[in-house]
Amino acid sequence: MVSTKFYTAIYVVLFVSATVQVLVEFAGLAYWTAFGIIMVLSAAKAVLVAAYFQHLRWEPRSLTYLVGIGLVAALALTVAASYSLL
Amino acid sequence: MGTTLVGSSPLFLQSGLVPRGSRIIVFESIFEVFLLLGTLVGVVVIGYMLYNAYKYRSGATKGDEEVGDRPVLGELPTGSGGGRKLATSFFMSMIIVVSLISWTYLTLLYVEEGPSADNSLDIEAEGYQFGWRFTYPNGHTTDGVLRIPAEQPVRLQVTSADVFHNFGIPELRVKTDAIPGQETETWFVANETGTYTAQCYELCGAGHSYMSAEVIVMPPDEYEEWYESTGNGSSESVSTENQTAFVEARPA
Amino acid sequence: MSDTDPERTDGGTEVGSEVVAGGHEDDHDHGHDFPGTGSIKRWFVTTNHKDVGILYIVTSLFFLVLGGVLAWLMRIQLWAPRAPGETILAPVAYNQAVSAHGLLMVFWFLSPFAFGFANYIVPLQLGAKDLAFPRLNALSYWLYLFSGILFGVSFFQGGTFSGGWTMYAPLNVPTFTPDVGASTAVLALVLFVASVTVSSVNFLTTMHRMRAEGLTLRNMPLFSWTILLTVWMMLFAFAALLAALMVLSADRLLGTTYFAMESPAGALLWTHLFWFFGHPEVYIVFFPALGVMAEVFQTFTGRRIVGRKWFIIAMVLVAIQSFVVWMHHMFLTSINLQVKTLFMITTIGISLPFDLMVFALIYTMLKGKIRFTTPFLFVFGALLLFIIGGITGVFLGAVVLDYEFRGTYWVVAHFHYVMVGGVTALVGGLYYWFPKITGRMYDEFLGKVHFAAYFVGFNLLYFPLFVAWETPRRVFDYAPELAPWHQLATIGGFVLGLSFLIMFYNLFKSAFTGDPVSDNPWEYATTAEWAVSSPPPLENFEGTPTYRDGHLSFILDRESDVTGGATAADGSGGATAGGGVATSPHTAVTTEYEPTVEATEVEGPSHASIWPFVLSLGAFLILLGISPLQDAAFPEGMMGAAYATTAVAGFGVTLGSLIAMGLEPFHGPVFDEGEAWPFSGIDNGKVGMWIFLASDVVLFGGFLGAYIFTRFAFGWTGWQPVPDDPIPGLVNTYILLTSSFTVVLALVAAEKKHKLGLVTSLGATFVLGIGFLVNKALEWQHLFHEGLWLSTNVRTSTFFLTTGLHAAHVIAGLIIALYLTARAWRGAYLEDNRSVEYFGLYWHFVDIVWLFLFPLFYIL
Repeated sequence: MVSTKFYTAIYVVLFVSATVQVLVEFAGLAYWTAFGIIMVLSAAKAVLVAAYFQHLRWEPRSLTYLVGIGLVAALALTVAASYSLL
Repeated sequence: MGTTLVGSSPLFLQSGLVPRGSRIIVFESIFEVFLLLGTLVGVVVIGYMLYNAYKYRSGATKGDEEVGDRPVLGELPTGSGGGRKLATSFFMSMIIVVSLISWTYLTLLYVEEGPSADNSLDIEAEGYQFGWRFTYPNGHTTDGVLRIPAEQPVRLQVTSADVFHNFGIPELRVKTDAIPGQETETWFVANETGTYTAQCYELCGAGHSYMSAEVIVMPPDEYEEWYESTGNGSSESVSTENQTAFVEARPA
Repeated sequence: MSDTDPERTDGGTEVGSEVVAGGHEDDHDHGHDFPGTGSIKRWFVTTNHKDVGILYIVTSLFFLVLGGVLAWLMRIQLWAPRAPGETILAPVAYNQAVSAHGLLMVFWFLSPFAFGFANYIVPLQLGAKDLAFPRLNALSYWLYLFSGILFGVSFFQGGTFSGGWTMYAPLNVPTFTPDVGASTAVLALVLFVASVTVSSVNFLTTMHRMRAEGLTLRNMPLFSWTILLTVWMMLFAFAALLAALMVLSADRLLGTTYFAMESPAGALLWTHLFWFFGHPEVYIVFFPALGVMAEVFQTFTGRRIVGRKWFIIAMVLVAIQSFVVWMHHMFLTSINLQVKTLFMITTIGISLPFDLMVFALIYTMLKGKIRFTTPFLFVFGALLLFIIGGITGVFLGAVVLDYEFRGTYWVVAHFHYVMVGGVTALVGGLYYWFPKITGRMYDEFLGKVHFAAYFVGFNLLYFPLFVAWETPRRVFDYAPELAPWHQLATIGGFVLGLSFLIMFYNLFKSAFTGDPVSDNPWEYATTAEWAVSSPPPLENFEGTPTYRDGHLSFILDRESDVTGGATAADGSGGATAGGGVATSPHTAVTTEYEPTVEATEVEGPSHASIWPFVLSLGAFLILLGISPLQDAAFPEGMMGAAYATTAVAGFGVTLGSLIAMGLEPFHGPVFDEGEAWPFSGIDNGKVGMWIFLASDVVLFGGFLGAYIFTRFAFGWTGWQPVPDDPIPGLVNTYILLTSSFTVVLALVAAEKKHKLGLVTSLGATFVLGIGFLVNKALEWQHLFHEGLWLSTNVRTSTFFLTTGLHAAHVIAGLIIALYLTARAWRGAYLEDNRSVEYFGLYWHFVDIVWLFLFPLFYIL
């Protein structure tokens, strides 16, 4: 397993990234640019938590795929339903 | 019959293969083919099934002893041969189904395109618990009765004032959902004058069974005469006994 | 069993095996501290998969009768067109019958009936002693039973739900269906989904992790295959349904406005959420029937299935595609042509694998030696009915035809041919496995009579509906010229329903007085359930089943002198597998002998537990208690107080039984890992937790999808976040991230066996979680003061409900954290820190969800 120091580093990155997210909002960027940056930051944080705090990085890949399937299903629903409105 | 409603159809729609014309013609001709092929396939497959069930019934097969390789308790499951036959049947069925559906898809495109705006009559329909309201281009509204001219395509914009309904005139083969907050579009043309019934096809509450409207198809000149007599804001209501029976069920 | 029956070739072994069957019952049924099967108490505390299977089968048949009686009421009403005032059932009563019939049959009968078999048979086919989590299995059953009781209660609360089984919005909100019973019916479904979710996690863990050596997925029997795919579909589809039902419950009880008629696209939102679940549900219901067909066909034709590999591939394709066809139920809504085209293509795509499966079954008969026993007759009939259902389904796949069939009896007739066709196969399954379950043979003659009556009744009932297809659904005032067809259908309905009396009589009588059967009464059955006694011993196998030599054999334990476990014929002889096994139960014929394996297995702790029952009772009371809520308020007066008290009592019972369950010493079945792809080497508990989290992803996905869809319909950028200040949300992000970090520290401390560190870290997590909730409460308080409430508009509805669901996850996590802290204080988790790890997985997940909720609801 990895050291406490490593976990602390991850934690600091997460903390800073959350702060940056809000700063982006106040930076006065165009809406969809800000939207893109903020969502990418959220996704990056989620990946960090899943990979290191939940140890998916060191587990058999099947567990990652398992969660991925759920994610794809939810995305399919959201995207197709929203698209059908167009 | 079969008046071309769409002036600018793509080429494949103009070939004789794809049914065109009123929605009655479209539906009947496709339904007929499906029914015919469906029955044929059903009879062949089920017949084959019954025949083989009889042929290979226990005790009937002489060659039974030859086929010594019967499944054994505890074996790991495997399949029997016969894959080629399986593949052939599968591809045959695939060809039938895919070609049938592709053929109807061309008709779908025709139906979805609908009649052009300039030679059709636009009417808004709104469902409510439990009846139908119609609004004409001049603002005239009717309740419980839809008057339309024969031979002229009618385009309907359908919505709902309360719950999910579905507007359908079975004899004219037109149907669409009536959804609160949404507008759906459909079209139809009635070639025969007379009185038809529009009905609700989505469960919408206590009065669902009786949620209908009269559809009166008039000769074009009579229709014109009637339409001239209406004006902005005028209205007309045909309240059938059925609808009044459920009027108290409506939310305030 | 009549002696003259020519189809029974192994009748000679029955007498001998009677002693065996009786002996097994005495020897093995009292293990694990279970009272005997004759005792009522046994059935309340059992966690054994076979007991639970029997409970499922019996209970589901009860709901079949209930749903059937409702169908009779409808068919009586439909005997003639009914003008206003001339109805037998009042219009609303008819709508209730229609709705309750659909809901009961689809949810409370079909799947649970199939899952009765799955519970009983699958562990046997896999070579497992039990499911991975036996207590959770019992919990699934009790949640199922209580959800059914709750649904029953709804009839007495002013009337049950009357908006159809599809529950279309906005008819499903209290504005249009104000009865308390309607809310209760929705809550009953929520409880049912809870049962299904628990069950899915359990089955998936079991089926992936606990297969016997050599039983790779590729080698799994087809019935197990169908159940595996069914459970996968269930896991995701029911999570989406849970999202839909929770939102609907909030609309009904708390006053949110997702589905209100004023909400932009609220009605469409429901259709998306419902059918995203609803179409996989069709296959969830049908797949087990397909599995039964495959097994019974192979057994009674004496042939292995043709194209087995393709059969499996076809099923896998269907299971995947089932999640991308849902909009074909919405062809007449306002969805655009591109989407219609796409979903027409996927729909045709999903129909094709079924062609292959049907042909595979038919070709399996060729060169066979077909014995027309009752199970085969039912399954053969089912295939025939399914062919008709399939062909008429292709009609619906042609969008132009669908436009006209929508809302008519064509749809009704089609899906009854498919769904009840599936029931037909499952009834065949009931006859097929009845001798295994009871150890006695049913009466073959009565079975055939049942089939004849059933098949005639079925076609008399449903075929006329194709002819009378112009009848609009759920309408009882139809065109008079269609009346004769409806009368035929009504007669058929009674024939079909009454035919079940023959079955009930036959099976009930035979369960006590039927001829005792051998281990394998059906010649040519191959799967492992037939290699053990009928009924099987409590722990299924004596010795460890293995397929490592390409066929089933048992590795026997040296210290045990009981060698009664059946051993498969060695595969080369093979002619008399059924008889051979039955006649050698006391002969230690083993092909394998490996003394060390599991020789030291000690008597495990009790496997009897009352807590699944009590927990389900508690959940039942909570939901019953909150059922009369409207706009988050109980009704005035005594009635309201009584309901509120019920809810509080239910909460106490639930919490108490959860703690009791946590403290109760209980371990899942001990097993040596055989085939466990793709989760080999990962603990059952961890796999279970991840599978649960995957379904939770879909639950939150449903909520977020609903939010995004609604906002999209509203106009994305015109929609302002509800909180005007993102800072409280940011603070909460910090708090949650920190609490995730402390959970990580807790696990590190536990690994180092550092008790103080463990307790401190867990305690810190708890405190941080409380901080999160307090901060949220302050923020909400502030918003309430500004006049913003759940029911203010759809914008506030989505905000409060989605973040509220997340808060509920936090609260659940805190209860666990508190429990863990207390246990850690007393020295737990230093030796075995898995509980801390699993809690961490959950807690981090809750954290991750917040990472998306925060930007979506606070800053964008």
